[in-house]
Amino acid sequence: MRSTAPARNAPIMMSESRPPDAVPPNRSGDATRRVLALFAKYGTILGLLVMVALFSVMAPAAFATLGNALNVLNQASLGMIIAGGLTVTVIVGELDLSVGFLASFAGVLVVGLIVNTGLPVPLAIAAVIGIGLLHGFINGLIVTKVGVNSVIATLGTGTIVVGLSFAYSSGAPIAFGVPDSFVAISLGRVAGLPHNVLIMAALIFGLWLLVERTSFGQSLQAVGGNRIAARLSGIAVDRTKIIAFMIAGGCAALTGILLASALGSGTTSAADSYLLTAFAAVFLGSATLRDGEFHILGTLFGALIIAIGFNGLAIFGAPTFYQYVLQGAILIVAVGLSSLSRRFADA
Amino acid sequence: MAAAAPFLVVSGLAKRFGGVRALRGVDLDVRAGEVHGLVGANGAGKSTLIRILAGVFAPDGGTITLDGRPVTIATPHQATDLGLGFIHQDLNLVTQLTGIENIMLGVPKPSRLGLIDWKTIRADAAATVARVGIDFSLDAKVATLSTAQRWLVSICRALMRKARLIVMDEPTASLSAHEAGNLFRIVRQLRREGIAILYVSHRLDEILDLCDRVTAFRDGARVMHSERAALTRASLVDAIVGGSLSQASSPPMAVSAQGEPVLTVTALARLPMVRGVDFVLRRGEVLGFAGLVGAGRSEVMRLIYGADRPHRGSMALGGSPFSPRTPRDAVKAGIGLVPEERRSEGLVLNRSVAFNMALPSNRRFTLSPLPLLSGSRRDRWARSTAARVLVKTPSVGTPVQRLSGGNQQKVVIGRWIDRDLKILILDEPSRGVDIGARGEIHRLIRSLAAEGLAVIVVSSEAEELPGLCDRVLVMAEGRIVECLEGAAINRDAIVAASYKHAPQDRASA
Repeated sequence: MRSTAPARNAPIMMSESRPPDAVPPNRSGDATRRVLALFAKYGTILGLLVMVALFSVMAPAAFATLGNALNVLNQASLGMIIAGGLTVTVIVGELDLSVGFLASFAGVLVVGLIVNTGLPVPLAIAAVIGIGLLHGFINGLIVTKVGVNSVIATLGTGTIVVGLSFAYSSGAPIAFGVPDSFVAISLGRVAGLPHNVLIMAALIFGLWLLVERTSFGQSLQAVGGNRIAARLSGIAVDRTKIIAFMIAGGCAALTGILLASALGSGTTSAADSYLLTAFAAVFLGSATLRDGEFHILGTLFGALIIAIGFNGLAIFGAPTFYQYVLQGAILIVAVGLSSLSRRFADA
Repeated sequence: MAAAAPFLVVSGLAKRFGGVRALRGVDLDVRAGEVHGLVGANGAGKSTLIRILAGVFAPDGGTITLDGRPVTIATPHQATDLGLGFIHQDLNLVTQLTGIENIMLGVPKPSRLGLIDWKTIRADAAATVARVGIDFSLDAKVATLSTAQRWLVSICRALMRKARLIVMDEPTASLSAHEAGNLFRIVRQLRREGIAILYVSHRLDEILDLCDRVTAFRDGARVMHSERAALTRASLVDAIVGGSLSQASSPPMAVSAQGEPVLTVTALARLPMVRGVDFVLRRGEVLGFAGLVGAGRSEVMRLIYGADRPHRGSMALGGSPFSPRTPRDAVKAGIGLVPEERRSEGLVLNRSVAFNMALPSNRRFTLSPLPLLSGSRRDRWARSTAARVLVKTPSVGTPVQRLSGGNQQKVVIGRWIDRDLKILILDEPSRGVDIGARGEIHRLIRSLAAEGLAVIVVSSEAEELPGLCDRVLVMAEGRIVECLEGAAINRDAIVAASYKHAPQDRASA
């Protein structure tokens, strides 16, 4: 049979996947290839170790302490949550560029609902997470039912959300009258561990279970691996993708809420930069341990590398704008490593 | 026609793919100003020859001469430079570009001040455009043109590149009678202008109508070449099929008793490929679908499997109306499909045997009440299923891309057995599969049928169906033209029926 539907163009960044009948690499240069393959697979881990060793030697008093380790982990948590959700959408072969904007909007909205509308904190949080899920649902509908490329669709919905965010807050941070109970969410600790770390750990564990250990997770991977084969096997491809977008939306909303809690205010565009962090983490993660496949634990790892890098910059007193340089560089290196490891998957 | 010296001479051309000898030293010559017909059943070697001429494949042996000079055609670009034009069924047009842009694609264009000078191009092309009889705007995107109009654009493109030989592959497959008539008129005109045309078609009436000489291939060898005058429809069929039609057939391994109907298909149609199909599929039988490429077999399967929706007609599954909207509906109703393109449609190549086998069935391996998947339970099931369908693999954790074609095919089949399955559809089950695995797959199909499953096997290889099927339906031009049963199922009967006309055939042009 011919293909069931006109194959939608794969997202640009994932177009490196090997054609079905790729010829196995020729014998010459086998050793080089093997080294490259190893580098592609374990390079990120090596990078992390080198970075930790370097910072520990150069700034033992500031970097290599338990306190700083917890601090890094705490800072990394929000990026891990948003990147974890994004991982689920890239597993089904779609990109979501709206997560950063959505997180910013969620922060503004949750504070606004508490301060201006007077909703109880739990209710406000539930409502905003619901809106994150709805946003993901709409993304999913646009991509699957209308057939818009996910890059464009989510760029569009993300931009709309930016507008809504400004409209809701008139562009000014909502900072007065934020109740302590809301701030305490991300500032509190249990048994010495920051709440954010615990929330992140629970969520990432849940996502890992979902992707790796459930029937739905197998569907996610099948849809991302070969959409036509998945459809002909009776998998509800559209529904699977829509749910993947909802997970990304829900995680983005949660990230925005926790960030607002940590900042003690709802600020438009506060979380925008998490988009880059999330993508860098996801692609670094795909180049870790597996052959260019996206996976939750890899993403966790990628987010950790980025957080440690930022921490190092901060400790050595580099101006914050270098964070952008680092992040851009990491994104490019990450996508490069990811496609490298896919290319050498069989070496 | 004046018996001019041949423009193209192919002699002793040979090509082997693995263990298959696609061409066993064929000869062919085409003269300038001649329409030369090329006929043969599926797999006779026509496509291989065309692809060698087009510079897609390199031959293993033999020579090609053009105008008396030996040539090697290493790339498609070279084929164009040598004056060879190819018009394939899919036409190779860029549908997002306009007609004139397609015509000039890859040709150096005159420019003024660094910008393409479309005015000059139009003037240059005007004569050719008129010759081909293009009466529609070439400024329209090809996507908006009809198939017939696209043909004209393709022909025009070949002529603009100074083609002296044009190969037309199944040109009328998707044209209406009127459009086909128009095409024939242009072909005749090109002949008058001294262009050589190699005309490949399954439609023998067209061949007899249009061609000056005809060459027939069978099993990679030239079995006939003759002037048109010496040919009849019967002699052509005879050459294509080989031997007399009364040849004895191999008896089927087992003829199942007639079980109760599982699937009843009534007047099913999706134009233009499926034009009204009726049949009944019974429990415990293996039903073959034969026919030439483009006869509409796979399209019927897509309708049954919910991958397309029919325009007309109905189906009943186990006595109740059945109208699947998606493959998922079909799977839920107990239908399984082993698709034609196993690598692109059947498998997630970088995933394990167990992953691929369990695709439709993962829910079965969850540890209730928790929704968690038990990897060990799934692997155990995959191991026993792999053993049952004879998949040879180091382990069920091996990525399927490391397996041979035959073993990959068995993984796809294994996906469906051991479910509550009523119908299993296999589309070209032994394509790209070695002989040993092919036998194993055939035995597996028979044993599944013996257990009460209803099986449909679609095959383009007429040799595959005898010995495997209880009944064979032969399709041509979107309809079922013949039903062969038991001893009547043999290769020759299938091939002969494939060339039959569908009832209510379009008027010959």
